[in-house]
Amino acid sequence: MTPEFILGCIILIIGVIAAAFPRPKTYLSRLISLEIPGLGLLLIMIAYDEMLALLTFVAVTAISTFVLVRVIERKEAAQ
Amino acid sequence: MDITYPVGLLVVAIALIIGFTAIVLERDDLHRILLTDLAEILALVLIALVATDLAEALILPGLVVGISELMAVSEVYITREGLRAPPAEPAFHIEVMDSAPGILALILVGYGIILSGFTGGVVAAVGTVFYFMCRGHDERFELIETVSGYAWAIWIGAFFIFMFLPQYWFFAVMMAGGAILLKVMAKMSLVGTMRGGPDV
Repeated sequence: MTPEFILGCIILIIGVIAAAFPRPKTYLSRLISLEIPGLGLLLIMIAYDEMLALLTFVAVTAISTFVLVRVIERKEAAQ
Repeated sequence: MDITYPVGLLVVAIALIIGFTAIVLERDDLHRILLTDLAEILALVLIALVATDLAEALILPGLVVGISELMAVSEVYITREGLRAPPAEPAFHIEVMDSAPGILALILVGYGIILSGFTGGVVAAVGTVFYFMCRGHDERFELIETVSGYAWAIWIGAFFIFMFLPQYWFFAVMMAGGAILLKVMAKMSLVGTMRGGPDV
């Protein structure tokens, strides 16, 4: 049980609660809250020295944020 | 005895219960898509807890499948809801976007080819994404997809060489590195076309 692992687990739980029940409940606040469990996952990966997975996760998160922002942008424009 | 793994499993179980409760209670479809991303992160934590090279080998395809699934679902959502792109000029347009793309894309793609492998593919793809974003695109995407398909076949061929002719391992490494470069580049260059346009 390394400090990174404990911190990662705590951040993961906090982040899941934040992303599951965001306040105010808008798309953007939920999208931002989604970054918190991602950080928890990164810390757990650091604890286990999974470098390749960590770097790829960072790259993929950037693309997925781009994809989601595009959908949210169009949804908000339609309303 | 090491209690790390049981503790991690317990944390993931709690997180999964919270996350899926939110999905069940949610009525809005776009919120559900966002929560799918949360479920994906939790699945990755579950794999990461295995803590061996196997975990890394499973996380990499998991990430790629996750991002392609997210792109597909978001496209389906946009089509179903009939959402159109807001009729606006491109967000910003500066002089360097007219003059730089050619040379910058060339440098990045060249550097990516030297690096080869997954990393090289990503570097080269950044070059093509930049080019598509600045210049627009009227490419024939069937061609890119065909190249990507052949690259996959070469990659599998390289693995057969590893298995049956291990003395030629260096040749196989080069084949696999070049093929995965093409594959990653072809896939990621699609991101540069997401502003819409003909033939997509």
